[in-house]
Amino acid sequence: MRLYQKSLIPISGVIYGQTIYWLTFLSSSLVLIGTLVSFLEKDSPIPAAQLLQSVIDGKRVDQIWEGIGLSEAPDMFYFMANPSIGESITMIGICIGVSSVVPATFFSAYFLKKSRNPVFAVLAVAAGLLTCLAISGVAL
Amino acid sequence: MLILATLACYLFLQTQIDSLSFGGQGSFSSIDIIFISFLVSVIIAIVAVIAGVGGGVIFTPLLLAFTSFDTLLIRSTGLVVAMFSGLISTGPLMRKGLADIKLVLLGALPIIIGGMSGSFAAIHLARQYGDQSDGIIRLSLGLMLILIATIFVLKSGASDYPARKKSDNFSQRLKLRKTYWESSLSRYVSYRATNVKLSIFLFLLIGFTGGFFGLGGGWAAVPLLNLVMSIPIKVATGTSGVLLALGNAAAIWPYINVGALIGIIAAPWMLGQVIGGLIGASLLSSLKASVVRALLVAILFGSSLKLIARGIEALTGIQIPLL
Repeated sequence: MRLYQKSLIPISGVIYGQTIYWLTFLSSSLVLIGTLVSFLEKDSPIPAAQLLQSVIDGKRVDQIWEGIGLSEAPDMFYFMANPSIGESITMIGICIGVSSVVPATFFSAYFLKKSRNPVFAVLAVAAGLLTCLAISGVAL
Repeated sequence: MLILATLACYLFLQTQIDSLSFGGQGSFSSIDIIFISFLVSVIIAIVAVIAGVGGGVIFTPLLLAFTSFDTLLIRSTGLVVAMFSGLISTGPLMRKGLADIKLVLLGALPIIIGGMSGSFAAIHLARQYGDQSDGIIRLSLGLMLILIATIFVLKSGASDYPARKKSDNFSQRLKLRKTYWESSLSRYVSYRATNVKLSIFLFLLIGFTGGFFGLGGGWAAVPLLNLVMSIPIKVATGTSGVLLALGNAAAIWPYINVGALIGIIAAPWMLGQVIGGLIGASLLSSLKASVVRALLVAILFGSSLKLIARGIEALTGIQIPLL
């Protein structure tokens, strides 16, 4: 019975779920570390105190980054180039969680194709590619 | 381990950091606000999991109505709130067969395309109309929340196990049928999806509103899967969470790319969702869903009144005395 019960659950779904689960776990751990570093670090180019106060004061997003002294809003390239800053660690953590669906869809597509579900394999690849397009910011 | 580490982290911040050096508002320091955000996020996640909706539908209206934070910032954080309880539950749901990978992938493309369009539209509106766009967003979201709350009041027709209808040709060609183990009945339950073409169009609309308002879309995806596609409620709820986590993953990037997601603000909300999602799932069997659903409806109606009032104030300058 247990064997039959397990056989009803498609491996493509299990692989998809496990990939996302562990990447989200990694993401949460990084966000936690980033939060601690943000509050403990001194002389950060993105000071937590100023960032928090600007948000609480209701400043617009562009005004918040201008107030910090950055000419433009930081993107992922900025965060990856400055990985020791608390805000960077937090953002990299969030982005790993948000992007976890990309490898998950590709792994899932492989197993969907193997289990003779070509239409859904194509849909999985398309979903992954569209998310990659969103990550790249090309459409902007 | 993650729950303990997170609790320890926020207790450490609350007790060991000099809160005066981080500013604040009124009698609350910034660290108090971060700590309160974390606790509120845990509560939102518990309510959202038990009521079977995404956390975004509670988070975004509450913050838009009762704080002065920038609306782009609230909506981007709303998408984080909407997706992370779904992300963390994807693994267990897939392993138990309570989320259907085929339904997830079928709904993914329209939700991603709709979500990205909604996010771009929101950013365009903010750039084009500046402060006036905040008024438009608050007013339209307030009106939409009344609609959502009404759906929840009227949604007594939700069926645990919808009767098996004859599936259309499109659904048959895609083999959208499955059998899962229903532990509460100690037997297998089979289902097959219906109205697939109509559902694809509705997923597109859900994606757009979710991306535009930062609501996610659990409030609409569960009724769609259950009432329109005839999917059993348990699978509909599980599939909805997984599907929206995938859809919102694309919708959030336009916000990240313009700096509208700030890590230190999003972090307590994200971690609260992960922990509240785990707690909510364990409380699911012991709490009455109808009580939590009534609480949710009250929150939605209350937030909608405040949002409409703030929207009218921003657009016309007329002061409305409300809360």
